Amino acid sequence: MAEKKSSSHFFDLKIPLGSLLSFYGLLLLLYGLFGPRHIYEKSLGLNVNLIWGVVILLTGGLFLGFAYFRRVNSN
Amino acid sequence: MDPIISLNLIDYLILAAYVVITIVVGYALKKYMKTSEDFFLSGRSLPSWITSLAFLSANLGALEVIGMVANSAKYGILTVHFYWIGAIPAMVFLGIFMMPFYYNTRVRSVPEYLKLRYNEATRGLNAFSFAIMTLLMSGISMYAMALIFRMMLGWSLTSSILLSAGVVLIYVFFGGLSSSIYNEVIQFFLIWLGLLPVVYVGLKAVGGFSGLAAKLPDTFLHAWKNMGSAAANPMGVNWMGVVLGLGFVLSFGYWTTDFLVVQRTLASENINAARRTPIMAAFPKMLVPLIVVVPGLIAVAVLPEYSVALHGSATPDYNSTLILLLARYLPNGVLGLAITGLLASFMSGMAGNVTAFNTVWTYDIYGTYIKKNMPDEHYLMMGKLATIFGVLFSIGTAYIVQSFPNLMDYMQLIFSFFNAPLFATFLLGMFWKKATPWGGFFGLLSGIVAAAVHYLLYKLNVIHYSSEMAANFFQAWWAWLTDFVVTIVVSFFTRKKAESELKGLVYSLTPRTKGSEMFWRRPEIWGSIALIVMVILNIIFW
Repeated sequence: MAEKKSSSHFFDLKIPLGSLLSFYGLLLLLYGLFGPRHIYEKSLGLNVNLIWGVVILLTGGLFLGFAYFRRVNSN
Repeated sequence: MDPIISLNLIDYLILAAYVVITIVVGYALKKYMKTSEDFFLSGRSLPSWITSLAFLSANLGALEVIGMVANSAKYGILTVHFYWIGAIPAMVFLGIFMMPFYYNTRVRSVPEYLKLRYNEATRGLNAFSFAIMTLLMSGISMYAMALIFRMMLGWSLTSSILLSAGVVLIYVFFGGLSSSIYNEVIQFFLIWLGLLPVVYVGLKAVGGFSGLAAKLPDTFLHAWKNMGSAAANPMGVNWMGVVLGLGFVLSFGYWTTDFLVVQRTLASENINAARRTPIMAAFPKMLVPLIVVVPGLIAVAVLPEYSVALHGSATPDYNSTLILLLARYLPNGVLGLAITGLLASFMSGMAGNVTAFNTVWTYDIYGTYIKKNMPDEHYLMMGKLATIFGVLFSIGTAYIVQSFPNLMDYMQLIFSFFNAPLFATFLLGMFWKKATPWGGFFGLLSGIVAAAVHYLLYKLNVIHYSSEMAANFFQAWWAWLTDFVVTIVVSFFTRKKAESELKGLVYSLTPRTKGSEMFWRRPEIWGSIALIVMVILNIIFW
């Protein structure tokens, strides 16, 4: 049976996850800013894409930030 | 029939980005897959934040989400029982009491524990039933999901099935369990980020929580108040059915012995991380009702077809509850995100099944009955082949079910026969050293038979319950009790294992290791906090 010490031998998931979320956030934010307005009748006049885009962008940024600081610290 | 939702370019971009990132992650993991333990158990190297989120998401499949929204449109707040009493105690129990046996014995699967504690026959019974059922269920859920995507977006069944199966095959083939787990973590965020907007806009439309409460009948607003008798609540189950059937047998059976979830804890980097995995998962688990129960309640408040159903004058299609709400409140953009969340949770549910299958197949069936003692590379290759075979078999099942839709109910039912009694076998195995190998085997077998017999008696109208759900809960309870009693009785008449063989496998024969960690990292502390929060939530929504 393998008794090897395998310390964090996988890559940091925060990077792809943070990138995906940041991409989504940016996309929704831009669509909210420049996209059509009439679609927000559905959401009671609320520009959900803009608001939620910002939230997701911050979440994604947080992951990337953590991953960055971890890398800087371990070097 | 026209699709309910129409997507545009931005939604498709969001969907495509998800598919691309999963494949990239799977491919990037390829270079780490050197041994079979890397492939099947992530080299036991993942930190607990990742394994906890995966532990939770493995269960939060798309069908689960859609089904629970449907349940809450049918039963109201009673649906929280599936999340609080029906999950939290079992998750805490797994982390505090059972994890040391799973992790410290270095078993690689749930059936392997049964082999060490009982005998080869018990393992075989569990391994074969688990492997077959897992694949069948994966095919069935693929078919069910394809139906939903057809209704929602107008995609053909074949294109949904091939798209999802193809992507899952690619990333599991390259990255094994790690791919599966990483995708579950991504899915966790997507499903929350995807569904929160509909919760927010929906709540705004009904005038917040108080506005929502004003539009619903009293029975929809209390978790326990109307549980005194089965007739007084929409679920048709009394408190005993919920506590014994759901809270005890079904919940413990699923969360502590189903390899699909247990496998995630085995991927942890050390015993403490393994013990923290289910316990840390308990906290987000308690919040899941926010994204599944609240939408169901909103649907009843705003969609006429669901509110008239309250008076019994119609039976709406409950499975489309969530989709109708998404179509009503979400503009393109966040809409695509919600659909991506659903697709992600569907794919990761399937990947979970496939990874659990390939592990049990390779270690417990192939490596035990077909080719023993081969070099590790051989088993690694077999795991990859099993992945391909597993996906193809699931696709086949999806098409068979397509021509025989009734099969779906039967399979789910048969699965419950195998799942419910297993917890008795584990409980006695881990905490009663006198349980014998054949006691374990016959206990498990008779538990399965008891579930089948109970089902027949119920269908033949010999036993009556006020609802299907009550029948289901009590069936689990009787199957469990049969297993429990038969294991004990047979154990008195059959040969015991020597105590030296049971070291590390049974509570009383395992030296207690004192946790060296600071008190704020100990699983006992967090487990107690989780239970307290659960009790408080139940009181608030009493």
